[in-house]
Amino acid sequence: MRESRVVIAGCGAISAAGCGIGPLYAALKKNLSGLRPLEKFDSPRFQSKMAGAAPGIFDDENPAWFLAAEALQQARESARQILAEIPAERTGLVLATTKANIAALERISENRPCSVIARRHLQANLLAEDLAKNFGARGPVQTVSVACVSGLAAISQGEKLIQRGEADAVFIVGVDCLSEFVVAGFSALKALDPAGCRPFDAARCGLSPGEAGTAIVLVRENFAADGKIKIRGFGGSNDANHLTGPSRDGSGLAQAVRSALKSANLPPDEIDFVHAHGTGTSYNDAMESLALKTVFGDACPPVIGAKGMLGHTLGAAGVIETICCVLAMQNDFLPGTPRLSVLAEGAPKSLLREPRFGVRLKNVLKLNTGFGGMNGALILSHE
Amino acid sequence: MQISTHELKSKIIEALKLQDITPEQIDDDAPLFGTGLGLDSIDALELVVLLEKDYGIVIKDIEEGRPAFRSVKTLAEFIAAKRPAA
Amino acid sequence: MNKIFIAAAAVVSSADLPAARLGPRFGRLDLQSRLALLAVASLKINFGGFARDRTGICLAASAGSLTTDFNFWQGRDSVGGPSPTLFAYTLPSSAAGEIAIHFGLTGPNLCFVGDDKNLLSEAADLIRRDEADGCLCVFCEVVSAEVAKIISSPPAATACALFLQRMNLETGVAISGSLHELQEFDRDMKSRCALISRTKSAG
Repeated sequence: MRESRVVIAGCGAISAAGCGIGPLYAALKKNLSGLRPLEKFDSPRFQSKMAGAAPGIFDDENPAWFLAAEALQQARESARQILAEIPAERTGLVLATTKANIAALERISENRPCSVIARRHLQANLLAEDLAKNFGARGPVQTVSVACVSGLAAISQGEKLIQRGEADAVFIVGVDCLSEFVVAGFSALKALDPAGCRPFDAARCGLSPGEAGTAIVLVRENFAADGKIKIRGFGGSNDANHLTGPSRDGSGLAQAVRSALKSANLPPDEIDFVHAHGTGTSYNDAMESLALKTVFGDACPPVIGAKGMLGHTLGAAGVIETICCVLAMQNDFLPGTPRLSVLAEGAPKSLLREPRFGVRLKNVLKLNTGFGGMNGALILSHE
Repeated sequence: MQISTHELKSKIIEALKLQDITPEQIDDDAPLFGTGLGLDSIDALELVVLLEKDYGIVIKDIEEGRPAFRSVKTLAEFIAAKRPAA
Repeated sequence: MNKIFIAAAAVVSSADLPAARLGPRFGRLDLQSRLALLAVASLKINFGGFARDRTGICLAASAGSLTTDFNFWQGRDSVGGPSPTLFAYTLPSSAAGEIAIHFGLTGPNLCFVGDDKNLLSEAADLIRRDEADGCLCVFCEVVSAEVAKIISSPPAATACALFLQRMNLETGVAISGSLHELQEFDRDMKSRCALISRTKSAG
C-alpha cells in the first residue's frame, strides 16, 4: 500500500445492537450487550442459547439478502452526496461472507418452501452480483470468503480496486446470519460459552454466535471532503499450524500486524487503540494477548472488543467492528469491552472494560483471525 | 464386558479416516494424542461422537474423556466400564 | 523490470486422489481441500527456495464450500451430532489453510467464491505490492450430485493450480520449472493451467 488514497464515505449496519448506525453508536457509548437467550437454540443439539440476533421482520427464506440490503441501503444513503458524483460503472462491490444464505440449505433439506432467489443466494457470488445490480454498482464485483477475516480482507480488496484505478467507489458489504447450521457446527466443536461470550475474561470459555448486515462505502479521497477516515494499511498472514486452533505463540497474527504497520508506514507506538478479535474462546484470546505483547511489548495501547455486544458475526465481523472503530474516531471516544468483568491473566493490562470519552484518536488497529490459520490486521487513520 | 481392542482400533481408523494404517499397527498402550498416533483436538471431539454413536456413552465434558483417551487400552477399559447395560 | 512468471501449472481431478500420498491425515480433509492440496503438490515446487512468510495463496472456489456444507448438514440428526471435522471444512478458505499447513506457508491469503477470472491479477498484485515473492493460485470446482441439483450446475470435482513468482533479477535464475511470462491480459487461469501442464507432459 503506497500513500493511501481511499477514505470511508459512509456506513450502515443492522445487528444485535439494533438497526442503523445511531443505535450502534448509542450501544457503544453505553457499553451494552446485545446477546440474549434465543428459544430457537433451546435444544440438546445446541451447546448454548445465547446469541446476538438482529431486530426486525425477517424474510425467513432469505435473511442474508434482508440484512445485506438493509445495511447497503443505509450506507449508500449516508454517502449520497459523494456517490452522486461517481457513475455506476466506476462503482464496485466486495462482499464478505462465510455462509451467505445458508438458510436455503436448511429449508431445502427439510422440504420447506424456498424461493428461487433464496436458493440462488446460497451461492455467495450470486448474492454479490445481485446486490451490485440492485444498488447501482456496475464496476468490479468480488466475493471474499476468508473465514472470520473476510470483512477486513474485503475492505483491503476495496482499497486495492480504487488504488489500482479500477473503481472510484466500492461498497464493502459484510453479512452472515444466525443459523442452526452455524450453531450446530460450533456446538460440535464445543466452542460456545453457555453463559454468553466474555472476551478476555478470566472465566471465558467460548464464543457466542451473532448475525449482522453491514456496509462501508469507500471512495477515492478526492471525492470526499476533508477530515475523513483513511484506509491506511493492511496485512494478512497464515499461522500454518492447525485448521481450527491458532498458532499458540501468536506469531502469525503478530506478523500480520507488522505487515500492516509497514504498509501504513507507522511505528507501533503511533497506534492509539486496538480493536481486538476477542471471541471469548480460551485459545483465541490467549493467542491474541501474546501477539499484542510481541508487537507492543509493555507499551500496549488501549484494547477493546465488541463481540460481547454483537456476538461473533463471522464474515461480517471485520466490517461492523471496523465501523465501531470509525464511530470511535469520529466521536473522540474509546469504546469498552462489554461482558468483560475480571481480566484474564496474561491479557493486556490496557484492556478497557468501560468506555472513555474525550479521547482524540488518530491511528487505530483492527484485528481479526479465523479458521484455516487466517490473520488480518487493518489500520485506519484520521487526519 | 471386555471390548475387543482390535474392533475399537478399526472403528477409530474409520471414524478418523486414517490412511495407510491397519489395526495391527496400532499398539494397545501407545499414546493416542500428541505423540504416538498424533491425534489432535478435533479428533478428540470425533472420538466423543464415536463413543455416543457406537457405544451409547455420552460425555458431557471433554475433560471427563481425557484420561480415557490416553491409549486404546484405557479407552477400551472406559467403554467396558461406562457402557449402558444391553 | 517487474516481470512475473508462471513457474508451473497442474490440473487434477478426483480420479487422481486414490494414488495421492500426502501424509497420514490426508483422508481427513474434505474433497475440496484434498483436490486443492493435490493440485499444489503436483506443481512440485521446492518452497524451500522462498521465504515462508513471502509466499502467498490466492484461491477461488466456484461453489464455495457447498458440497461439504451439504454433507455436514446431512449428519445433523445422527447420534452424537454432526461431524466437528466436517464443520471445519464448511469454509472455502479451509482448502487454503490446508495448503498453508502442509507446505508451511505463512504469507498473505486471499480466498474468493466464484470464477477464476481474478486470481492471476490478484496474485500478481500481491507480488507487485511487495507483499510476496511468490504466490500460489488455486481454482477449485467441487459440486456433488446433490448440490448440483440444488444450484442447477453440473457436478464437478477438479482443481487446478499454478505458481507465480518474481524473477530473481540478480541471478536471472528461475527457481523451478520452465517459465512462462504472465501477460497483462491473462485472465483465464483454468485454460492457462491446462495449456501449460499439457505442454509440459508433451515436451
